[in-house]
Amino acid sequence: MSEIMQRTREIIESYNGPKLRIMEVCGTHTHEIFRLGIRNILPENIELISGPGCPVCVTPVDFIDEAVYLALERNALICTFGDLIRVPGTKKSLADARSEGATIKIVYTALDAIKVAQENPDREVVFLSVGFETTTPAVCLAIKNAKKLGIKNFSVLTANKTMPAAYQALKLSADAFLYPGHVNAITGVKVCEDLAEQGVSGVVAGFTAKELLTAIAVIVENAKKGKPYFVNCYPRVVKEQGNPSAVKVMEEVIEPCDSIWRGLGVIPNSGLKIREEYKEYDVRVKLDMPLIQGKPNPACRCGDVLQGKCKPCDCKVFGKVCTPLHPVGACMVSNEGACSAYYQYGRKD
Amino acid sequence: MCVGLAAKVVGLKDGMALVDASGAKREVSAELLEDVEPGDYVMVHAGIAIAKITSDDEEETDGLLGLLG
Amino acid sequence: MSNKKVTLAHGAGGKQTAELIESVFKHHFANPEFTPDDAAVLNVGTGKIAMSTDGFIVSPYKFNGGNIGKLSICGTVNDLSCMGAKPLYMTCSFILEEGFDFDELEEIVAAMEKTANEVGVRIVAGDTKVAGKGQVDKVFITTTGIGSLTEGFSTSGAFAKPGDAILVTGDVGRHGCTILLAREDLGIEADIKSDCAPLWHTVESMINTTKDIHVIRDATRGGVGTVLYEIAAESNVGIRLNSQDIPVDPAVKGVCGMLGLDPLYLANEGTMVVIAPKEQAQALLNTLKQGKYTKNAAIIGEITDEMVGKVMMTTEIGSQTLLPQPGGELLPRIC
Repeated sequence: MSEIMQRTREIIESYNGPKLRIMEVCGTHTHEIFRLGIRNILPENIELISGPGCPVCVTPVDFIDEAVYLALERNALICTFGDLIRVPGTKKSLADARSEGATIKIVYTALDAIKVAQENPDREVVFLSVGFETTTPAVCLAIKNAKKLGIKNFSVLTANKTMPAAYQALKLSADAFLYPGHVNAITGVKVCEDLAEQGVSGVVAGFTAKELLTAIAVIVENAKKGKPYFVNCYPRVVKEQGNPSAVKVMEEVIEPCDSIWRGLGVIPNSGLKIREEYKEYDVRVKLDMPLIQGKPNPACRCGDVLQGKCKPCDCKVFGKVCTPLHPVGACMVSNEGACSAYYQYGRKD
Repeated sequence: MCVGLAAKVVGLKDGMALVDASGAKREVSAELLEDVEPGDYVMVHAGIAIAKITSDDEEETDGLLGLLG
Repeated sequence: MSNKKVTLAHGAGGKQTAELIESVFKHHFANPEFTPDDAAVLNVGTGKIAMSTDGFIVSPYKFNGGNIGKLSICGTVNDLSCMGAKPLYMTCSFILEEGFDFDELEEIVAAMEKTANEVGVRIVAGDTKVAGKGQVDKVFITTTGIGSLTEGFSTSGAFAKPGDAILVTGDVGRHGCTILLAREDLGIEADIKSDCAPLWHTVESMINTTKDIHVIRDATRGGVGTVLYEIAAESNVGIRLNSQDIPVDPAVKGVCGMLGLDPLYLANEGTMVVIAPKEQAQALLNTLKQGKYTKNAAIIGEITDEMVGKVMMTTEIGSQTLLPQPGGELLPRIC
């Protein structure tokens, strides 16, 4: 083990102050924290809470129903990240639709969906756009490119979200946020500095073992001082200003709207929709889609899990009816979801 | 939420960068970064380079721990 | 290159079928036991025999490091080898899609011949059916094999004991990664070759090193992670791996990094998990390091009596965590 890991472990393990609740906002952080076994080295008075930063988990069931409708009723060729394939809709997942003959293609980036559209000129190619500020610039670039190239058979089903309003909604759930490094790589750190001024503490964290341990050690050291703080613990990637070009392309193509978060309900101005100038790429407008409202399984407590109100194992269906092979809620589907991580890594508390 | 991958830029053409992550190569968009050059390390997410990487995590965390005193 | 295609008539049992057998199969599989009769008649000695069968439907049927033909021999050869059985005879059954290219078929059959010769296993009977266009995906092969068991040697997934060492015979996840890159249009390029290889000689060399081996298992579909969970359950033991010791090709690591996948869950076609008493581990490793297909072999962990049924991992930060349980379809994770 490296010296840095040893030193950070010492700082973390010797913490003996009051209970410290740290919310890791990003699903990839959740995943890495489990993979590295970080929870297993924390003293009892440090708790890590898995927040709402897995886009698959906060995407409402309606979105899956819309995608299934497009695939089965409108014969659209669906391009999606692999993450969404097994998320249950009200009746069907995309995997179910695929077994009924729908064309569902896994892509690595929205930009590849443009190529799929070019190769399939007789099909409407719909990209399922989920994700936060990190993921959104790619879909905006794709939409711009499609317009530039005059591609007519490409459109996007959006469920993109932004974090700032969610921090406000969750600020009482934790003593410090572990901010999602790759979101801050785009947006910069001003939003976090502002939160610190309002009394909400946190640090931006990277994703390697050293970075995660360091970020938690920095939280521990600052918590001892008792004042609100913000530290950028991922400076090799996250710059003060973020990525202004990425912000610009987002502002050009999309605009804020209210958005439904699974479990959190509607958060004003936390979603993104395609601007009027690009509306021919908004599949809801383009295909004049009906309003589709899904019904989440009432037994599922993903919503409470996402807000840190309960642990996955407090949910009645967790590990029994709801498993990674037969997920009831989205948090069990995504590898980044708190329920999946708890299940996979065998945590019972 | 965002699987990111540190990769080295090995080629540039028309706003696209060919990046290499220990032998896995892919073309990604470099449109959103200024002054990228072959040899630079970038953070890649969902097909675009979202940031230049300015040091390794060893140097970075070392610096942060230094501040803690 | 001829433009000859497989037609429904090639599967109808008449003149064309005979021509296919003559020009392709007999040409490559010729050996004294290859039978024109309804069944092959074989001499298998007096000891116990092992028998195994496996179906192959890999898409694409050609990939870096092999094709479905080579794979269909390796799969059954390796299954027999895991039991310590020297592969003797095999049968193969082809299901071909109407319109499949004769030259492609020839290439597949030639790969089968070459692989079988390397092991010394004889293909003694076969069958060919042709299915209508669209009814199968180009070519499916099923192989069945028998082998003679080595005396005084027996392995089973239920034989792992606390204190045993766990080895892998090579770096993990290469076949799965190769197929993923070839199948999914992910735009990722990497110089990764499937590990597809017949491992009888590997197993033979291990047996010659020591007969004190408890488990040998082919880490195919589901990868090393899945196999370890199977063994933990069958032997009623716990497993502890050291994450730093698991050999992974850097390019496989790169691809997995891009797609959020774990190489421990990617398929292998020429990599086995071997479990043996700790005292034998180093000798086995030395033997493997000298093998043609097993230079990247490593000791990756041990069997414990704690956490029965589970696979634990010592992580790079020195903590303990569970290896996630194997799940269904492997899906790239991006957002």
